[in-house]
Amino acid sequence: MKHSVNRPPTPDAAEDQGKEPTLQEIINIKLIESGEKERLMELLRERLIDCGWKDEMKALCRAHVKKKGRTNVTVDDLVHLITPKGRASVPDSVKAELLQRIRTFLMSAAL
Amino acid sequence: MSGPNEDNNTQLSSHIFGDLLDSIIVDVASECHRIAKLGLDRNLEEEEEEMRLSAQARARVADPSNSSETNTKYVVDIFGQTHPSVATEIFECMNCGRSIAAGRFAPHLEKCMGKGRKARLKVTRSSTAAQNRYSRGSPVSTYSPYSNSTSTNRLSNGTPSVAGEEYSNGTYEEPWNKT
Repeated sequence: MKHSVNRPPTPDAAEDQGKEPTLQEIINIKLIESGEKERLMELLRERLIDCGWKDEMKALCRAHVKKKGRTNVTVDDLVHLITPKGRASVPDSVKAELLQRIRTFLMSAAL
Repeated sequence: MSGPNEDNNTQLSSHIFGDLLDSIIVDVASECHRIAKLGLDRNLEEEEEEMRLSAQARARVADPSNSSETNTKYVVDIFGQTHPSVATEIFECMNCGRSIAAGRFAPHLEKCMGKGRKARLKVTRSSTAAQNRYSRGSPVSTYSPYSNSTSTNRLSNGTPSVAGEEYSNGTYEEPWNKT
């Protein structure tokens, strides 16, 4: 008998399985629906440009492209290149400001 | 979920912040990727070319076969030009007025202006000439006392004036002291 006969049944759509949406998912939906996520993204983008973070990341990308050659570079490469440095180099003030806004939102969303 | 609400909130906030940051990182990477692929970053090409050329030049310099055999007179510079070892442009010497080749200018000045025996003799002549030049040309004579001066410095009506006074000689006195 083939092992494949014993495989578990194909899962149905997530709701039918009785999986409750996680708190995170609920919050995410609230963020998006209220438009707050968009506002937060714009705020973060603006702050990161102002403090030069975006330029630093672009410089890293350019250096990488120069090394590897234009034709060999993929978006994935660049994402993996930037992510650790990008996360580490966000200025504390920017991070604090965003966290504050997010916390305010969470509290107002009455959780 | 266990733990006080505060902790949850903080953790959640950090997680949400991380999400936002990741999205922005992907945006930046995508933008850079686009620029690279479309060749919009013009500096990139130029720098590559220059690096290639500089590597070439360095190889040429480091190459031992080049240096000794080529006549140094015919060394080629980065634009491919050769220069004669003595510069040939011609200038007029500001001291004696003669036409001198640029490459011979420094030795000429040495003789013309000071170092040599012949130049010393010339110096005494020319310094008196320079003094005469200065004293004749100036509007205020060098050694006359202030009261005899007929220049515009004289202001017996008592109005103090500061303009132009800087140019007069060392024996100048304040106008209002002279009443």
